[in-house]
Amino acid sequence: MTFNRAAAGFYFTALLAFTGGLRADSAASPEALQFFERKVRPLLAGSCYKCHGQKKQKGKLRLDRHDAILSGGDSGPAVVPGKPQESLLVRAVKYQDPELKMPPKQKLSADQVGILVRWIELGAPWPKEETGGPDRRAPGLAVTDKDRDWWAFRKASGTPVPGVRKAGWVSNPVDNFILAKLESGGFEPADPASRRELIRRAYFDLIGLPPSYKEVESFAADDSPGAFEGLIDRLLARPQYGERWGRHWLDVVRFAQTNGYERDGEKPYAWRYRDYVIRSFNQDKPYNRFVIEQLAGDELDDANRDSVIATGFYRLGVWDDEPDDKRMAEFDGLDDMVVAIGASFMGLTMGCARCHDHMYDPIPQKDYYSFLAFLRNVRYYDKPKYDKSSSTYASIGNNEWALAVREHGASPKETKVLIRGNSGTPGDLVKPAFPAVLGGGKVELSARPPGESSTGLRRELAEWVAGEENFLTARVMVNRIWQHLFGRGIVRTPNDLGRRGLPPTHPGLLDWLARDFIRGGWKIKRLQKLIMLSSAYRMSSRVLPGEALRKDPSNELFWRQNMKRLEAEAIRDSILSVAGGLNPEMGGRGFFPKLGREVIAGGSRPGWGWGVSSRKEQSRRSVYIYTKRGTLMPLIEGFDYTNTAQSLGMRTVTTVAPQALMLLNSSFLDWQAGVFAGRVLSEKGADPAGHPADFVRRAYQLALSRDADEDEVAKSLAFIRRQEEAFASRRSRSTFRPGVPDAIERGFKSTQQPSNFFEGPPAGWEYFRGRWYDAGDNIDWVDPQRRPFALHKTLRLADGELSAELSMQSNSEGASIYFRGENKGDLYSGLELLLDPREDRIELRRHGKEKEPVVVKSAPLELTTGSWYRVRVVLAGPEVSVWVGQGSPDERNPALRAAVEKPAESGDRVGLSSREAPVGLSSLVARTADKASAVEISGKKWIDAAEGSPGESLDRSMRQALHSFCLVLLNLNEFVYID
Amino acid sequence: MESRPDRVTARGASSPGSQFCGRTRREFLWEAGAGFTGIAMAAMLQQDGFFRKYVHAEGAGEGELNLLAPRQPHFVPKAKRCIFLFMYGGPSQMDLFDHKPYLQKNDGKTVDVEIRRRSVQKQKLLGSRREFKRRGESGLWCSDALPRIAGHMDKMAVVKSLYMDSFAHGSALLQMNCGQVIQGHPSLGSWLAYGLGTVNQNLPAYVTMLDPRGGPVSGAPNWGSGYMPAAYQGTLFRSGGDPILNLSPSSDVAPAIQRDRISTINALNASHLAGRPGYSELQARIASYELAFQLQTTAPEALNLEEESYKTRELYGVYDPKPSHKLSVGPAPFARQCLVARRLVERGVRFVQIYHGGGHQQQNWDAHHGVEENLDIHCPEIDKPISALLTDLQQRGLLEDTLVVWGGEFGRQPVSQGNNHGRDHNPKGFTYWFAGAGIKPGTSYGATDEIGHEAVENRHHIRDLHATILHLMGLDHESLTYFYGGLDRKLTGVKHSEVIQGILA
Repeated sequence: MTFNRAAAGFYFTALLAFTGGLRADSAASPEALQFFERKVRPLLAGSCYKCHGQKKQKGKLRLDRHDAILSGGDSGPAVVPGKPQESLLVRAVKYQDPELKMPPKQKLSADQVGILVRWIELGAPWPKEETGGPDRRAPGLAVTDKDRDWWAFRKASGTPVPGVRKAGWVSNPVDNFILAKLESGGFEPADPASRRELIRRAYFDLIGLPPSYKEVESFAADDSPGAFEGLIDRLLARPQYGERWGRHWLDVVRFAQTNGYERDGEKPYAWRYRDYVIRSFNQDKPYNRFVIEQLAGDELDDANRDSVIATGFYRLGVWDDEPDDKRMAEFDGLDDMVVAIGASFMGLTMGCARCHDHMYDPIPQKDYYSFLAFLRNVRYYDKPKYDKSSSTYASIGNNEWALAVREHGASPKETKVLIRGNSGTPGDLVKPAFPAVLGGGKVELSARPPGESSTGLRRELAEWVAGEENFLTARVMVNRIWQHLFGRGIVRTPNDLGRRGLPPTHPGLLDWLARDFIRGGWKIKRLQKLIMLSSAYRMSSRVLPGEALRKDPSNELFWRQNMKRLEAEAIRDSILSVAGGLNPEMGGRGFFPKLGREVIAGGSRPGWGWGVSSRKEQSRRSVYIYTKRGTLMPLIEGFDYTNTAQSLGMRTVTTVAPQALMLLNSSFLDWQAGVFAGRVLSEKGADPAGHPADFVRRAYQLALSRDADEDEVAKSLAFIRRQEEAFASRRSRSTFRPGVPDAIERGFKSTQQPSNFFEGPPAGWEYFRGRWYDAGDNIDWVDPQRRPFALHKTLRLADGELSAELSMQSNSEGASIYFRGENKGDLYSGLELLLDPREDRIELRRHGKEKEPVVVKSAPLELTTGSWYRVRVVLAGPEVSVWVGQGSPDERNPALRAAVEKPAESGDRVGLSSREAPVGLSSLVARTADKASAVEISGKKWIDAAEGSPGESLDRSMRQALHSFCLVLLNLNEFVYID
Repeated sequence: MESRPDRVTARGASSPGSQFCGRTRREFLWEAGAGFTGIAMAAMLQQDGFFRKYVHAEGAGEGELNLLAPRQPHFVPKAKRCIFLFMYGGPSQMDLFDHKPYLQKNDGKTVDVEIRRRSVQKQKLLGSRREFKRRGESGLWCSDALPRIAGHMDKMAVVKSLYMDSFAHGSALLQMNCGQVIQGHPSLGSWLAYGLGTVNQNLPAYVTMLDPRGGPVSGAPNWGSGYMPAAYQGTLFRSGGDPILNLSPSSDVAPAIQRDRISTINALNASHLAGRPGYSELQARIASYELAFQLQTTAPEALNLEEESYKTRELYGVYDPKPSHKLSVGPAPFARQCLVARRLVERGVRFVQIYHGGGHQQQNWDAHHGVEENLDIHCPEIDKPISALLTDLQQRGLLEDTLVVWGGEFGRQPVSQGNNHGRDHNPKGFTYWFAGAGIKPGTSYGATDEIGHEAVENRHHIRDLHATILHLMGLDHESLTYFYGGLDRKLTGVKHSEVIQGILA
């Protein structure tokens, strides 16, 4: 071992080359590994890796990998496990050998040496690499036949369908492949799923919506042999099928309707591409045609409206309208296309070869640029423009426009390899050519007529990608389809079939399916039906603990179906469907879910680019939510929505507490639980008080498409009873809260009704915007002293007594009662009593002609948020007396007494305002000498119904309890997990 | 299955302290390994070998389902937590910390400067109108724009020679937060959450707070998790009202009502679970509801400033009034956020980023329309709060293992822009300062050229800034990788980057 002393720089920087993908070695005890991680690795990292690590290997030795330590460097193995005395490492660190002193500049302390000795005594434990991962490819390697023989790149094998022992289980050849593996591993396939499970699975898998109770029951009762096939056919024929499977495709193509970055501006008509995708799935367009249209729909002999819209594929990426380096931005745009094509259609990580040869797959940098050469003539993305000169839009007739590809003309721009990917350092000229590993081949174009608007190169590319012999393309798509039907692909890395991806668990099956797919005319519905009719698909996902679960817990072999968590869209759509308000309208620009002020506040122009949609619009399927890269509906984002910046083959599935918060507390769920309760009531008659069990049973049927069992009914009834009692003991209240952030973009502001500025009960109150001033750049800020407010429509009081009970939410910045006032347009004029919990004081103020309200008088008073306060104001001529407290007021000692010089002339209205947080109002009464008038505290209706008003005859607390119960059902695991 | 299997008795509905699948709630939660923002599901691990291979194996042992379980750093960290004070818009280095006598002397002189990439223009130098002084024992420069912060220079390491890749806010913000000028990459806080997990499962690992004037340009992607799971993204935390989106139910719903709802949901879920052995994600989802309930208490508590002494609140500037300038909000909002940040890091939050400045132009540090006016608006808003934060952290002994970072997405030009002596963007040379854990205090490091335009001495790309923050938090930027799209991705990307050794203690 020659640690090269002369060259060995030695530092105590604690750098650590962490070999990724480590897992506990089964041979080493956890304690030993802990010792290694806590003591040994940091020591090696701090003292050795500078010269013997990932970057440098002095004396050909590296100490950051177990295998390398054992095999050693020039001087032989560094460590002999269990034998410190024989280990060169120990000799070196002990400075025993004058020729071998390591680290050369500073000897390790005795303690540190002891750590290494102890570690070797323990057998030099090291966490085992989980899979090892592929080796890196040396740069400059030629692509060989061996490279072309990679499983994904070769021709799909014509492997015969394997024979099986348990032939009775086989429904079609898919099962032969699955069962053969199971049998050779000593597994039994799981029992078939029940018919109720099966129909539910088929509904979610094909259309992303739950079946109705009736549909389930009739399917469960139908034991005819063709029942399931008939069901599949019916589902495949429904328009919701395209919405479901189109959404999967939109993930793959990085679909969004805005550009991202600072302005995140709209890509007008991007929605046409979304609708095209949905339409294509519904039409069962052959997949090869679907590919060709997206890549070259404008260059086809039979180009049509849809095929031009399809080329919007090229335009879906993020785009910086203010790039730092314009030259570079052009290639970033081309790279986005190359990467998207590679990932979506070919399952290849082409982008890894932009700056150098791909480090793992046989894709030389030259091949990347030869591939890019097909697209080099595509015009750079630009702002929308609707004429012939547009670079990003094409006419589709009828004076309509589509986001589409446009080229510079008939003769291609030349393409050069960019050294290190840098546009400033062009290298060799390349011609359009297919990657060598996929057979290569340059393209010779016949001269195009000069009038042509494009080179025809993309058509060459498209026909090659979707060619009969391109099994890679078929494998990639077949795998995607399998993935959505089984919860995971035959290849678990659907966007990477290269060497850094994972190998197929069932290669023979994948090949057979790919061949069958091509043979069947690339028909997706046919393939889906084939897979779904297999016994494998129809297995139960529910199994009892046993041998199979122990031997193959991750279901490598598909010995059962996988349970699936619904995606964000399917969760939201199911809620709408169950509640009964799902609006089936298809297509168009999409709709804007109402976003809370917290979400709006996140932008630099808060609200900019967001719109207002009616409740009916907001009841549409989630695939039609306007896809703004910088602003996502939290409910959708929170349930693991796709990454809109790049192609995504498979969404992750996480389970986190904020998801529970959204399903419990968000305004969408609150709304939908009310619609759901209204639906049950209108179906069952409005007598749940008399027959609550009927309500429970019907709600179960709607939510879960099954009957509740008696235990569930009992639990539910007990719950409703408890909730009713709890709500009954809770005082009735109206809640008011600020509805928009304190800074908003002016265009967004103009779309908002006054009742959006300050939100409260719709009946009985009138809302006002308050004062907003121009902060520049089209942004308006609220004047913190003149916030949005509400005035009661009918309550009047000039002289007399006003009493109110109110409560501020924790962390409130204050709440105010307005009296002897009126609105002057959007502004308030009159008196205000401010309760300020931050400063612990109350303040009497007068709003008038002055720019700011004038503080008449203030008084210290300790205020606790979350508690109810009784506020009493006595108005007698100019004299105003105020009591604020939690108990009975001390009549003789008001908290504040003041004379207001000039009582407002005409103001006699009463109102409210709050800062930041909600304020609750539970009573508001005005008394004059001759009468007392109380504001009705209506609170929320809780039950929301499109027709009639079911539930209105019920007690408030019963309505709340039923609403609560409906909310509970929408939160169940059974609601979001599909067996 | 037509017949429903036997159930495990679960009586969650009536008694909150009840059993879950035969275990106490505490045991249940522990076993399910649930946390605020992350439970990597067994199903995901089962169904998704990809994730298992590249994420699960990253330090998380077998059976550890929590995406945010505390993880061993690569080496012993100097900093356990980090507060990043983001001066959105790009503060003017030559008016605050980067004293340039030559610039002052040559005010009005015409020079050639690169104003946008490859666009060199003749412009007039604009000397600072601020008075600079050497401060403390270290003698570090600080102008009179920040009189209180000036008193803390001995705690700081000031790096004056940073540069980055974009003249435009949108991509510059993305690069400062996520390492790349291209959208779609995880932010620094996401990398920290991914690399280190969190020690307090009842609060987010990574918190973002915004200015009341609005968010930064590019919005949510600045605190997004890019290609990582959403569990690693920054959680927006508001210092008034509900701190976290959807934290509280409608105000009619008392805690006991919500408790009963969750207990009932989970009692019904327990029956469902009993028929589905081997699916730990079902168990984890039950746990996530319990945590959601706990959060309703823990999150508001973290920002309850009533628990702080009046003196402390006053020290931060919580009561300072709003000045008359219409674009100023005064120190109070930022003061509250700084104080909340201290309370959050005390409770184990790993990374808190506070944006100062929102919206556009003079609403933040983007001083195109007059640098003096800009400083007049913004310096008083941060001076007292930051000064108090440093004092407070030190008094509590937190500064030893808390890293405080100050800076924006880039700096500003030494030449005058517009009629009102504005300054344009400048990514070629700008200042950041660090204080606290692992920092060599009283250090001035690196330099710009004589006019303050371009970093010339000890130049560091912001990749190095990221590498340094990761390093102080115990992570090696070369080794902290996440596999996505065929590559082992790094915050610092593929280009060379290194820790800024010169500022380390």
